[in-house]
Amino acid sequence: MRSHGWRGGGPMFRAEGLYKSFGALEVARGISLTLPRGARHAIVGPNGSGKTTLFNLLSGELAPDAGRVFIDGRDVTSMPPDARARAGLTRSFQKNNLFPELTVLQSLAVSVAIGDGAGAVFWRPFVRSADIFRRATAIADRIRLTSHLETVVDTLPYGTQRQLEIGLALAIEPKILLLDEPTAGMSADETAEMAKLIAALPEDLTLLVIEHDMEIVFDFARRITVLDYGSVLAEGTPAEIRASPEVRRRYLGETAP
Amino acid sequence: MVLLAAAIGTWWFAGYAGQDRLGEIAIAAIFAMSLDLMVGYGGMVSLGHALFFGLGAYALAGLTLFLKWPPGLALPASVLLTGLVAFAIGRLIVHLGGVFFIMVTLAFGQMGWAWFARDRLFGGIAGLSGIPQIDLSLLGGDLANPADFAIVAVTAATMVYLALARLIESPFGAVVSALHRNAGRARALGCPVQSYKLAVFTIAAMLASLAGTLQAQRTGFVSPDLLVWTSSGELLIMVIIGGIGSLLGPIAGAALWTLLHHYLSAVTPYWMLIMGAFFIAIVLFAAEGLYGALARLAWRRPHV
Amino acid sequence: MLPDPASLVIQLLNGLQYGMLLFLLSVGLSVVLGLMNFINLAHGTLYMLGAFLGLSLVGVTGSFWIALACAPLLAAAIGALFYGVLLRHLQGESAMKQVLVTFGLIFIGIDTVRMIWGDYEEAIAAPALLADSIRIWGQPYPAYRLFVIALGLVVALLLWLGLERTRLGAVVRAGVDDRVMAASLGINIDAAFFGVFCLGCWLAGLAGVAVAPVLQIYPGMDVAILIPTLIVVVVGGPGSLRGALLGSLLIGMAETFGAVLLPDFASFMIYAVMVLVLLLRPGGLLPARQTA
Repeated sequence: MRSHGWRGGGPMFRAEGLYKSFGALEVARGISLTLPRGARHAIVGPNGSGKTTLFNLLSGELAPDAGRVFIDGRDVTSMPPDARARAGLTRSFQKNNLFPELTVLQSLAVSVAIGDGAGAVFWRPFVRSADIFRRATAIADRIRLTSHLETVVDTLPYGTQRQLEIGLALAIEPKILLLDEPTAGMSADETAEMAKLIAALPEDLTLLVIEHDMEIVFDFARRITVLDYGSVLAEGTPAEIRASPEVRRRYLGETAP
Repeated sequence: MVLLAAAIGTWWFAGYAGQDRLGEIAIAAIFAMSLDLMVGYGGMVSLGHALFFGLGAYALAGLTLFLKWPPGLALPASVLLTGLVAFAIGRLIVHLGGVFFIMVTLAFGQMGWAWFARDRLFGGIAGLSGIPQIDLSLLGGDLANPADFAIVAVTAATMVYLALARLIESPFGAVVSALHRNAGRARALGCPVQSYKLAVFTIAAMLASLAGTLQAQRTGFVSPDLLVWTSSGELLIMVIIGGIGSLLGPIAGAALWTLLHHYLSAVTPYWMLIMGAFFIAIVLFAAEGLYGALARLAWRRPHV
Repeated sequence: MLPDPASLVIQLLNGLQYGMLLFLLSVGLSVVLGLMNFINLAHGTLYMLGAFLGLSLVGVTGSFWIALACAPLLAAAIGALFYGVLLRHLQGESAMKQVLVTFGLIFIGIDTVRMIWGDYEEAIAAPALLADSIRIWGQPYPAYRLFVIALGLVVALLLWLGLERTRLGAVVRAGVDDRVMAASLGINIDAAFFGVFCLGCWLAGLAGVAVAPVLQIYPGMDVAILIPTLIVVVVGGPGSLRGALLGSLLIGMAETFGAVLLPDFASFMIYAVMVLVLLLRPGGLLPARQTA
């Protein structure tokens, strides 16, 4: 493993000129992004503007046609998702991507284990890994799922599953967290819960969130990137974005999607 | 526990043929458990598992007959050798998706069969016989005696069962279970999915080869029939009718199939048709197999 | 060591003929795999049924041509029956279950053939029209084998035209490219799949009858041909006509020349090709869908 720029003073997460097309369809056109440590950054844009594609490029599920991605100064562009996760980046998904037929506790515990690389142990019973289960329970507390520890994931209500969706990502103690529409499909109450959860995330966690709900965005975000048709329309502080003429014209002026 | 008691009971009361059958079932049980590890836990359906069974047997034959190794040494060596081959093959194919993987394993299985069927050194189609058995006279036993062999085989099967149970309950097993349920999420969390699959593939292959070496010890004979695709297919049927994803299921399936096979082929030359229909019925109507059905009766949910 | 040109041409033709046989079998399998992620392991069974049904038809009508025309239709009908009765029930389930069911069908198929036609090897005589040999480069070569080659090429051409020029072909290509998209566009993917599946069965039956005068037919020939067919699909790349054609020719040649040049390793050759392709181009040589 190279230690080039490791824990240096530079930005924690950087993407440079990401391009991606599927045949004739260009879904990402020269997107660049820089996140300092502890960032609170939101990605907004109309449907089809390429937000989830961007996430896939950042997390490694998609390989870019051009451009590069850096984690703490390290070029991770050619790394698959699991390598990037081990380098400190992980994400949650727009559609719940959980482990079927496991309980909440089991899901969190196995995620902690994956983060630790504890899967190499094959002689001791897993249920006796006290440390892992303690940490899993702690995360359950943080995401307010303590009462559901023994519940099988498939039977949970949608909003609760959504919370677990983020919980799994938190379980590996990432340095960089990408949240893809965490409040998708949620009621007002559930959305408020999620907002509190996001607010309670660690200070030094570098956070990038795709969101449609502008209230949430203006609540937590210190910087916002607006995407439109695969390229960056505008980027800046919430105040700058609110004032930006292009944005007002293209996005904020539109009726809700 | 129940099965062990049944095994001991059978051994005690059954005659010569019964004990021979018991040994056969024990070997099949190890073979079936190994496939279940790959299919039920690792999520990789293979139609070429007999390749490793055969490799274990042939390796034992080769080491003892040509290199004159003592069989007690050759047995573990054969298992290790097969493990190496499995590792090499696995590296090529574990990343392939479900249906593709089935095709490729089928092809590799037949490749093994074709090799051994042509290879004159190993006796071609007719195979080799006269494989020496491990000398157990120090323990007062003789592997040529079906009663003694049955004891050894059942002991081996029990040990395999206990070892696999341990493995499945370990963190390794938990991770494998997770990536079986959702490989994409496991990957996104940092799990090197292909490495785990390769590990499962290799372990399953080595256990299959253990079964193969025991088979060579039982009959003193190896032939390409050990590797033919229908053996892999029958094994898959065994595991499925017994119940995927549990360890007792394959054991039950192995016992059921072995017995059915013997009785059916004595009764009619068209046993394949009946087994085929039976298998389809199970897949359609009782996908959890024997074990799942029983578990549903005994407990609320099948123990997975 | 170098064979004389006449023998070379003979072997080339043999390889071509075997390749065409593999093509007829693999193209249906490959497109179905690309379209529905489903492998009909009993595909070879339809091939075998085609051959035996052809045998019976020749026995009854005395005409090879009638057998050639009708046996594939019967095979397609049987395939359609299996699809309707069994496979449709599993439509919602995992593809794995469907594959397992077809696997059970292989067992049933072999014994059914044994029950009806007995256990022995059979052969059909080539039709009178093609019974002679043609002189190629001074060597006699059975005219019938040339017919098989021609048949394969004609089928390939017709399939290509069908894929490129007809609406059904466009639907199939769209479905292979992106199943979900095609379905959401309102195209009746299920009907298209059924059609392609039946076509594949028809082709398998055709292959069975066509090859009967050349090879021996026997219960168990289904598995014997299944493996090379699967290898063709792996090598050529799933879902594409061109892949199936290239793969069949490659494997056909490999097996034929392998038997001549390296008799001890003959059957090993095709596996060696497969391993090579898996190493260098894991998606196959000409897959329909370019994977990352």
